[in-house]
Amino acid sequence: MGAAVVAEVRFKDRFGLGWRPEYAANILMNIDKIDIIEIIGENFVNDKHLTNSLKTLATQIPISIHCVSLGLASSLPVNIKRIEKMAKLFDVITPVSWSEHFAFVRSKYFEIGHLAAPPRNEDTIKGSVKNINVAKEIIGSLPFLENIATLVSPPCSVLSEAQWINQIVQKSSAGILLDLHNLLANSYNFKFCPIAFLDEINLNMIYMIHLSGGRYIENPIHPEKVHLLDDHLHDIPEEIYNLLTIVAEKCPNDLTVIIERDGCFPSFNHILFQLNKSKLAIQKGRNNAHLKRKYEDKL
Amino acid sequence: MSTQKVEEILARLYSDNDYLELFMKNKNKVLSEYILTTDEIEAMLSIDTSELILATNSYNHKRSK
Repeated sequence: MGAAVVAEVRFKDRFGLGWRPEYAANILMNIDKIDIIEIIGENFVNDKHLTNSLKTLATQIPISIHCVSLGLASSLPVNIKRIEKMAKLFDVITPVSWSEHFAFVRSKYFEIGHLAAPPRNEDTIKGSVKNINVAKEIIGSLPFLENIATLVSPPCSVLSEAQWINQIVQKSSAGILLDLHNLLANSYNFKFCPIAFLDEINLNMIYMIHLSGGRYIENPIHPEKVHLLDDHLHDIPEEIYNLLTIVAEKCPNDLTVIIERDGCFPSFNHILFQLNKSKLAIQKGRNNAHLKRKYEDKL
Repeated sequence: MSTQKVEEILARLYSDNDYLELFMKNKNKVLSEYILTTDEIEAMLSIDTSELILATNSYNHKRSK
């Protein structure tokens, strides 16, 4: 009797980019080459004209809403009015998904104005799960949550980043948006292996991937010490494609891959080139997984 | 729950440069304004100062955009 045929698992991975006005015309002209667009929710909530244009865009391509100011990962309760305001955007378009970050952005009296890593402990796990449930209740669906890059190791942490994320995900059922450059930056700055992180994180819960670039910066006090800054102003480095292949090999879910670029905009062809490169990286990972299954089946 | 207090201090350090300066000069004095556990005080005292400045510079830059 011949060896059983191992069926190839067909994935419906999607590839897209973050909406930036600088690329608007090019996105519309190349819409057949892009599967999905990710918009920053906060950029649209206060502008009726922009919201209307978003409606038009949504008729042409699937949209995912990415939020940056809700601050769900915190021991402090989330601001309900902010979520309600964001929820109105979900009445205008029906996104295929929405996302936020494993981050806090404010306290009761102080607004950080950007994403910050909270202490990775039991209090922030409990608080995050509560906040995620509140957001789910108001918006109507669970967000995917993104790992953030941090330049300072959050004090009062008793868990590794992967352990902390796993617990929030397990207790809230929210999926993970894995930002590979944030992972690369944290692994460089805090001296851990990004592949070990991928071994530790719950890969079954990853549904989205962010790709971007950054640059190395000097430490202000110890110039001999160098840090990797995630700035979205540079091309995606080669290590990121390698990590993408590893994720695609091990993750059982269809993946949505988004390229983020916030400035020093290259030609749109270059963005499309990077999008194709990410497709090849994912395909390589999926093929590796298939070959592995075939090999294991023969044993 | 004093993790809330730790987040309060971090948010202020990341957003208020005068407070950061005060913290750098006398961490114990700044922390004494909050009811924190011994472990939390220890953790706050051992924050890497250069990382803190780096992070704050980055937040200042992002807020100014």
